[in-house]
Amino acid sequence: MRRRPLLAALSGVPFLAPAAAKASQGGTLTFSWPVSAGPLNPHLYNPNQMYAQAMLYEPLVRYVEGGTLEPALATAWEAERGGRSFVFQLRQGVRFSDGTPFDAAAVVSNVEAVLRNRPRHAWLELIAQIDGAEALDGGTVRLRLKGPYYPALLELALIRPMRFASPAVLRPDGSLSAPVGTGPWRLAETVRGAHDLFVRNEDYWGDKPAANRLLVRVLADSNSRALALETGEIDLIYGTDQIDADTFRRFATDRRFTATLSPPLATRMLAVNSARFPTDDSAVRQAIAGGIDRAALVRHVLQGTEPAAETLFAENFPYCRLGLRAPAFDRAAAAARLDAAGWRLPAGGRVRARDGRPLSVDLCFVGADALQKALAEAVQGDLARIGIGARLIGEDAGTSDGRQRSGDFGLIFGNTWGAPYDPHAFMGSMRAPSHADFQAQRGLTEKAEIDRRIGAVLTTTDEAERVETYRWLLTTLHASGVYFPISYLTNKAVQRADLAPVPFGATRYEIPFDRMRRA
Amino acid sequence: MLYFLARRIAGLLLLLLVVSFVFFAMLRLGRGDPALDYLRLAQIPPTEAALAAARESLGLDRPLVEQYLTWLDHALRFDLGRSWYTSRPVTQEIAHYLPATLQLAAAAVLVMLLVGVPFGIWAALRRDRWPDNATRILAFIGVSVPNFWLAFLLVLLFSVTLGWLPAIGRDGPTSIILPAIATAAMSACVMLRLVRTSVLGALGEPHLRFARARGLARRTILGRHVVLNAMVPPMTMLGLHVGELLGGAMVVETVFAWPGIGRWALLAIQNRDYPALQGFVLAMTTVFVLCNLVIDLLHAWLDPRVRLGLPA
Repeated sequence: MRRRPLLAALSGVPFLAPAAAKASQGGTLTFSWPVSAGPLNPHLYNPNQMYAQAMLYEPLVRYVEGGTLEPALATAWEAERGGRSFVFQLRQGVRFSDGTPFDAAAVVSNVEAVLRNRPRHAWLELIAQIDGAEALDGGTVRLRLKGPYYPALLELALIRPMRFASPAVLRPDGSLSAPVGTGPWRLAETVRGAHDLFVRNEDYWGDKPAANRLLVRVLADSNSRALALETGEIDLIYGTDQIDADTFRRFATDRRFTATLSPPLATRMLAVNSARFPTDDSAVRQAIAGGIDRAALVRHVLQGTEPAAETLFAENFPYCRLGLRAPAFDRAAAAARLDAAGWRLPAGGRVRARDGRPLSVDLCFVGADALQKALAEAVQGDLARIGIGARLIGEDAGTSDGRQRSGDFGLIFGNTWGAPYDPHAFMGSMRAPSHADFQAQRGLTEKAEIDRRIGAVLTTTDEAERVETYRWLLTTLHASGVYFPISYLTNKAVQRADLAPVPFGATRYEIPFDRMRRA
Repeated sequence: MLYFLARRIAGLLLLLLVVSFVFFAMLRLGRGDPALDYLRLAQIPPTEAALAAARESLGLDRPLVEQYLTWLDHALRFDLGRSWYTSRPVTQEIAHYLPATLQLAAAAVLVMLLVGVPFGIWAALRRDRWPDNATRILAFIGVSVPNFWLAFLLVLLFSVTLGWLPAIGRDGPTSIILPAIATAAMSACVMLRLVRTSVLGALGEPHLRFARARGLARRTILGRHVVLNAMVPPMTMLGLHVGELLGGAMVVETVFAWPGIGRWALLAIQNRDYPALQGFVLAMTTVFVLCNLVIDLLHAWLDPRVRLGLPA
């Protein structure tokens, strides 16, 4: 039983928790998130929080781990004209939570709302490829593309922007008069900076959530989040970075809680700049690949909360099961490789040099990110032991973004985008100069060919050719040493023991609250 | 008194003008590209065309002074722009979050006075005896402990171990107790030592001998001639510590999930949300200066030498 605050009881003053918090034993789950859920427009980005958008709004097709798709608001679909359009049969009897029927007209009005705001979605190839949508009848809709684009269905499964709000709340300027979707939850109340309250959508077409209500308290600090879990003020912590590794380990050994890790969701890595001295030398990149003790980083810095990454994308992503392995950690071999390339340690010196130029790299990270800082320091130590000097540059996120755009880095931390963006959307972005990946690859002799084949793999309709092109791309990038994969990001869930085991969603921000229940 | 008030209000307006310009210039002349920050927060892909459009719409392509004058023109009409992160008007955001912070700061001042004044007087009246030594140790510890650490210790003891008080949120009268103590701890200890020193100083004043000669009761002498006179320096310190309390609230609000302006500002700092930061600094400067104005008025009321401009 949850302890009632003593002073409130003594004072006779009712404890003025939100009504939902009071009822937390009677079908209310309590969760926390660092910021408020936002206005919850399914077609827009910040400050809308993706976990909440996924609760209210549904896609036509849903992504399942491993890259397959299952029916959601569409029960069947078919490609036409060599992949230039898709016809969707819509699920019958679905209504938005305001009672408006979900039909072909609703799909068309949402697609048009997204297309009216195309520049906002320029990062997503799908939106550039969509030509329009038309209702064939009340339950059938056709989506026309400008050309074949194989990831179209995958990108329709994204949390945003192609999900569906009730046409009754859509405004001409793209905003909503209220957040109304077809999903298993409705937003009942928002107190900015304090909490968001979701209630079960009683008219939901699918399996209804076990809990009546979900209270999401705004908790910015991870230590406070852990303490709130201990006091029972929240039931659950869930996410990739909602809790630090030490605290996760502590909860894992406490019998009052259950701590679990999801399968790999994305990759934490260092991009190595092939267009900038001294990492423009392939021997230096290969020495870095073999000279950093990845296993030690995972064991000591990440406390084993993320599996070590051998490749840019984990093998549970589509087209990525290629059997590639990272170079074995071998400090002597890395040093020998540098020796052979002419990088010598000067007498009494600790940093190698060639032609009078020292072997020093700028290792850039976000200063406020304690984990990146700890990883950077460990990497600096490993590199120093093979005679590579690493200058640590910790800056705010904005400045770090600027370096990624300009290529002003030697090594820089980054993550892949995770399911369902990996590998196709992440690789698509490698062609844009504003991404660290483009900058890191810019010095490779194969760069033009890499970009050409990325373009080809996104538009080919030949599955065998797609498989082969991905194999070439991923193998080439793997061998080039422009990435040092560190670990695979996982969602970490810590729950109180009175909650049944928490399932994981297929993607990073799809939290299956609807399948959570009391034990 | 009216002249005194008018002079202080004129000073306040001048100060706001200077602070707003200096901060505006610091934000614009610092590292990084505001247009890029805007696009990053709005999650608009930062193409060259988008950057150029952002610079134009935000006025970043105009000279700094012109940008500032435009901002000032809007600010005088209570329009501080829109947050780049939430897209809401900054004035609305401040109006939403400031009351919680003021409530916390007021509770912290109360804690500060309840601890600092009585214990300071007690320590002075028991000089070099155990109450004085005990409060000295307490004050030493109090000023040395960072407020975020104290906040976590309080939560561990009163919420996790004893279960007496909520660890997070602003859900009822009890939820303010721990945040107020964590916010006020350092200032309360400084207040305690200052009250002690000030009371000791007042106890040595020659006019007390005459008061005793007039046959006044010890309680009257202490109350009217010692404590009242000794309150002037602590009151000045109270004004100065308002800034300390508001700054401390930024950290404490984050630990206790207190939905105040400090936590909102922290998010704005992390996001480099320029309009929000500019509005925050302006609001905090106003609150800080107004609090000091009130303290000065009290000071003038307590000490006629101040309002008459006589040497102390």
